[in-house]
Amino acid sequence: MQYVIIGSSAAGISAVEAIRTKDKDSKIVVISDEKKPLYSRCLISYLLAGTIDEKKIWYRKDSFFKNNKVNALLGIKAIEINTKKKEILLDNKEKVEFDRLLIATGASPKLESIPGIDKSGVFPLRTIEHAIKIQAMLGKVKSVAVLGGGLIGLRAAYALKNCGKDVSVFVKSGSILSQIVDKGAAGLMQKRIEEKGIKIFTGVAAKEITGDKSMKGVTLDNGSKHGCELVIIGKGVSPNMEIAKDSGIKINRGILTNDSLKTNVKDIFAAGDVSETNDIALGEGSINAIWPAACEQGRIAGLNMTGEKETYEGSLAMNSIEFFGLPVISVGITKPKNDTYEEIVKKDAARNIYKKVVLKDGIIAGVVFVNSIENIGVIGALIKNKADITGIKDIILEDYFDYGKIIPLIKKSKKGFRGPEFKETILTL
Amino acid sequence: MKKIYCNIKKCLGCGSCEIACAVEHSKSKELNNTISESPLPIKRRRAEFVEENIAISTGCQHCDNAACVTACMAAAMYKELKTGLTQHDRDKCVGCWMCIMSCPFGAITREKQEKQVVKCDLCPDRDKPACVEACPTRALSLGTFKEFKKICNM
Repeated sequence: MQYVIIGSSAAGISAVEAIRTKDKDSKIVVISDEKKPLYSRCLISYLLAGTIDEKKIWYRKDSFFKNNKVNALLGIKAIEINTKKKEILLDNKEKVEFDRLLIATGASPKLESIPGIDKSGVFPLRTIEHAIKIQAMLGKVKSVAVLGGGLIGLRAAYALKNCGKDVSVFVKSGSILSQIVDKGAAGLMQKRIEEKGIKIFTGVAAKEITGDKSMKGVTLDNGSKHGCELVIIGKGVSPNMEIAKDSGIKINRGILTNDSLKTNVKDIFAAGDVSETNDIALGEGSINAIWPAACEQGRIAGLNMTGEKETYEGSLAMNSIEFFGLPVISVGITKPKNDTYEEIVKKDAARNIYKKVVLKDGIIAGVVFVNSIENIGVIGALIKNKADITGIKDIILEDYFDYGKIIPLIKKSKKGFRGPEFKETILTL
Repeated sequence: MKKIYCNIKKCLGCGSCEIACAVEHSKSKELNNTISESPLPIKRRRAEFVEENIAISTGCQHCDNAACVTACMAAAMYKELKTGLTQHDRDKCVGCWMCIMSCPFGAITREKQEKQVVKCDLCPDRDKPACVEACPTRALSLGTFKEFKKICNM
């Protein structure tokens, strides 16, 4: 048996660890286009901010591959999958055979197709390489333009503000974090970020990046010009699924997987930011390109590659961010697209607290909490287990809402909540 | 795996477990001194009411497939192979709150100033966790699930 894993970030690493819990001896080959993987992608902006030292970013030891008896092909790109011959073509012309394959190729930053995007001084923030290159030029930088007000854009803005730079964020949509939180939560976050000196401009996009070889500024679609020495592109990511094209592996938004994380081709699995899975809240296929989903999918794919029969419960959008001491967490749908959803909102301006749950037919589809986040995971459990919360609707946003309050729902639930610990806690009720 | 279980039939929701936990995780470990510490120590257990007169003392369940461990992007939350416990490494934690986002029991708390989280560690300095010792009705016990079922006659 030879397992091959393309990609060595969250999903790939989790898969290696899962395989090794069941199969200690078979060969595992990991192919990664990064020369030095094993770092935590989510910590890159922390590294740039200087809030952690480089040591903390390595989330597995250097000896990880050796300890897990992995043949790691690093700095090498897999470019083609031959599903009939069960082999992979590498960019160094070599071929690797597989019995079971996991595609965990992740995602790449979306780069805008505006003139000047290729000038020096323009960066996405996705790899440790990006962070190091940005850091190297910071000495010459006074002012930064961040294009995009999503998670990556704002994390980059926060990091560079922390480095003492003058930071302006240009957000095409009407509010920041528009993919993950509603306007109520976004408003509170924007206020805090602006109070701390980051400038945010909503409803404007960059039209052109100006300058010669090095960039000197940004021209906006409202005609105004903004001078700066560094541009960060934070426009989200798109899945790296070129390798699956024309291979017979079905793709849609991402590589299509079933609840075993299998693709349509026998013995080929996909996990992480490249995979499209069933979204629990949406009830349809979606890519949730987030760390926890990548780890969970990698783990389950890895187990199933060894012949186990582990079912993936589906993915759920969830994000946690804090800016200048103000945290926000969202899970599932926070901005319903039509009026079949019901919203319950609680605001406490004095304490900077904002809470909202989104319901459909008595079942929670999403939640967002600002500054009072401790029990949001309890609501996450209600979303995942599709519990009817009609009976506790009135108290769900109260300060005293906690795990104890959902115990009657767990007891009542026909299918039971997924995970043995729920049953253990209600044994004596 | 040994962990803390609560017998709901015996729990009064009195909060003795909460106080004992906070004191055990304080600097002085003395109630009288603890209350004047700054910052105040953080409890890792909560006496929660299910309904009027029905309560449960909850904390980290040291889940088999722990969502907090899966979510932790800094590898600060991890499973200890020997004991099966879910442990937290303060040196690695960056305070991203992804574990809080993921914990279905609400068992993880922020330590805001330090940008760290805290949760039940089963009192590593003691034989018996402080909450178990402090529980006046013996609702709390430390042991395996099998042992717990036995003492509850279930």
